[in-house]
Amino acid sequence: MKTRNLVLGVVLAASLALTACGGGTKGDGGDGADSDVPQKGGTLSVLLNADYSHLDPAMGFDGGVNNFYRLIYRTLTTNSTESGKTSEMVPDLATDLGTPSDGGKTWTFTLKDGLKFEDGTPITSKEVKFGVSRVFDPAQGIGSPYAKTLLDDGSGYQGPYIDKGKDFAAISTPDEKTVVFHLNQPYADFASVVGQNSFVPFPLGTGGGTAFDAKPIASGPYKVESYNRGSELTLIRNTNWSESTDAVRLAYPDSFEFTFGLDGATIDERMLADQSGDKNAISGGSLQPANVSRVQTPQIQDRAVKTTAVCTTYMGLNTTKENLSDPRVRQAINYAVDKSSLLTAAGGSQLATVANTIMVPSLLGRKDFNLYPSTDNKGDVEKAKALLAEAGLPDGFEMVIDTRGQPKMTALSEGIQQALAKVGIKVTLNVIDSSTFYEVIGTRSQQHDAAITGWCPDWASGATFLPPLFDGANIADKGNSNLAQIDDPAVNQQIKDIAAMTDVDAANAAYGELDEKIMELAPVVPLLYENGLQLTGSNIGESITGFNGGIDLVTVGLVKPGK
Amino acid sequence: MVSYFLRRLFSVAVILFFVSFLTFVIFFQLSPDPAVMICGKTCTPERIEQIREQLGVNQPFLTQFFTFLGGIFAGRSYGAGEAAIHCAAPCLGFSFQTSQSVMDMIVSRLPVSITIAAGAAVLWLLIGVSAGLISAIKSGTWWDKGAMMFALGGISLPNYFIALVLQYVLVVQLQILPFPSTPDFAEDPLFWFQSYIMPWSVLAFGYASMYARLTRANVLDTLGENFMRTARAKGLPPLLVLRRHALRPSLTPIVTLFGMDFAGLLGGALITETVFGLNGVGKLAADSIGKNDQPVIMGVTLMAALFVVVANVVVDLLYAFLDPRVRIKA
Repeated sequence: MKTRNLVLGVVLAASLALTACGGGTKGDGGDGADSDVPQKGGTLSVLLNADYSHLDPAMGFDGGVNNFYRLIYRTLTTNSTESGKTSEMVPDLATDLGTPSDGGKTWTFTLKDGLKFEDGTPITSKEVKFGVSRVFDPAQGIGSPYAKTLLDDGSGYQGPYIDKGKDFAAISTPDEKTVVFHLNQPYADFASVVGQNSFVPFPLGTGGGTAFDAKPIASGPYKVESYNRGSELTLIRNTNWSESTDAVRLAYPDSFEFTFGLDGATIDERMLADQSGDKNAISGGSLQPANVSRVQTPQIQDRAVKTTAVCTTYMGLNTTKENLSDPRVRQAINYAVDKSSLLTAAGGSQLATVANTIMVPSLLGRKDFNLYPSTDNKGDVEKAKALLAEAGLPDGFEMVIDTRGQPKMTALSEGIQQALAKVGIKVTLNVIDSSTFYEVIGTRSQQHDAAITGWCPDWASGATFLPPLFDGANIADKGNSNLAQIDDPAVNQQIKDIAAMTDVDAANAAYGELDEKIMELAPVVPLLYENGLQLTGSNIGESITGFNGGIDLVTVGLVKPGK
Repeated sequence: MVSYFLRRLFSVAVILFFVSFLTFVIFFQLSPDPAVMICGKTCTPERIEQIREQLGVNQPFLTQFFTFLGGIFAGRSYGAGEAAIHCAAPCLGFSFQTSQSVMDMIVSRLPVSITIAAGAAVLWLLIGVSAGLISAIKSGTWWDKGAMMFALGGISLPNYFIALVLQYVLVVQLQILPFPSTPDFAEDPLFWFQSYIMPWSVLAFGYASMYARLTRANVLDTLGENFMRTARAKGLPPLLVLRRHALRPSLTPIVTLFGMDFAGLLGGALITETVFGLNGVGKLAADSIGKNDQPVIMGVTLMAALFVVVANVVVDLLYAFLDPRVRIKA
């Protein structure tokens, strides 16, 4: 499989220079077909603005850290690293994607042979069970919530540290190789769930408190050599990781050096300058919009990787507000917004594409549609005005939009403000500091008419996208993610029906259909799918853009490791 | 003298108490609920309550405040039973974001801030005081005008602007310096020096300008004093007059200022550290404010306040030593 990836990578290098499909590999600089093929060895640096949230996989839960975890941890399944198939789950520690029984309530996985932790102890079903049980600890289980939701057996189990000696009945281990999960409800896409960070195995009894945040125990190809929180992190090869058991991780470099705390502008300057040590570096985040225009020379273009969009930036319309409770008004707003100006504000087509659906293009089963079209996405003022008149608001109305006090978000909200002014809607912007933004908009009593924010899926299905945002059952006073506060019986029922489906592909397709149905009600305005533009040093080879966005760290390597 | 010292110590305690109270009110009471931020997406009300309990933010304000103060002097425990975590005195709590001990976070960042502050201080004292002295002696000449123009530039140009210009010219264009980082001195002294010289220079430029203007004004004032005329009339050589009679009284106000400035910098050179990506206490403060990590903001603020008030006491004592007139009054 690895050889095939490599070949695919080389072929793609040539083809992607011609297509702008954002498949995620670097373009061929014309130095010859083999010039970008990564080799084993060397030290690769990653320059980052902020440190990873947690090295403990029960606690960390965001795109950046998910990408990092795959270097040191393995899960039962994981996202593929095959180009064009990164949304798909493939077996990792397990031999396959699991076998359901009892109508999808019981899932059985068999572990591969020869799996070991960094200290050489074998990874058996017991270690997998222990790893998952950790997320039930109230202090540690702040990461991916799915294991907790699906495996909660109602016993009030609080994890292996508080409930020492108590058996966690939701997982049984009939032998060393077999793990059986007893779910509290049927779940067709459980193969995606066991790829979440909460399914990382750990040796029994380890990892109390914040131990793994300081010194994780690796099951992946690398282990932590040193870690100075907030400053630097060095990974070296985990000699007990066996390549023959892992068809996903290419693990080219001998070591990784992560530098944290660098200013975004400084990272851009360093990557653009490509001096000495930085030739072996990649930027951990996207280029700043202000620097996009500097990616002009063929040499720099060759070092720029356009990464896949993983999140949708959207404006939630609070359907409990008087004017916005009328779907026609919400549809009018969908027509009125000039998305082409928003695209410019977000850094142009290099950094984003216009969004018309709620689900991002990388999701399986997603349907491409546009219910509120306009010429060049500039907004249809006439249609919007007609709808407003129909709704009894021919002179428009006043509304307050919550937005984040950050340059790009402010630019987006100003673009919306100007577009809505054309149809008579007078917008006042409520700019909220970044540090408290999500807290404020997630508190129902503090929510205004609309809020501009984003949502990213946890795996490539509408399952982690549409229910949290549109299920009426999810409306909460605090920490509310259903910003539109939409509680439509038909939508709620359809979400329930899809969750009960046993065929994953059919469920994914149904989510694609539901996306369109929800957009007919227009509770949100999809604005942009924002991708990244990551710069790599001149000695960095081909890589794959992962499902989590950004260069997939398990696929990146140096062309000349000795350099 | 002893009662003077004790009175000063008491005022230090009172000031720190009020600083901690105010910071606590601002960051814990007036800012939004940290539990919701930690809870993240796919959050439930039960989880929010659980996190609030773990953080102790479900307690009444005064209980939280005095538990915090108690932690500084006697340490405290978080949670109960098997899962309890003890935080030894002086305990500033744990970061909401990373669960690290705030004290450890500050202590691990201090060496970087001390290195930046100490290097910059040497530069600005050398350059600022010398420039001020020369300007005063050669008052009205091109020397004086040139130095004062330079000083005006240093005061009016913001730190981040100078930092970015220096970085662009010296690192990106001329490539004579590396991008600043925080290497160990022992590993590679030259690289260490090259890494810190830009942050030192940026900080020193602003301070040196102030010091040059202050030194110039003080020396000019002193030169006009009667005892200077007497010294000159006694026939002492001009350099000796300058060194023995003019410099010492002119420098006492500089010592006061220096103590406060240096102590302030130990609390973190926020802008310089952030622009150059140096992980000192200032960067820690900036990052924590960005993430609303209240215990860390609180810890850094208290630490910075402690440095300044202690420096204030030290400076007052030094002042008495340097200027006999103060000693008599005390």
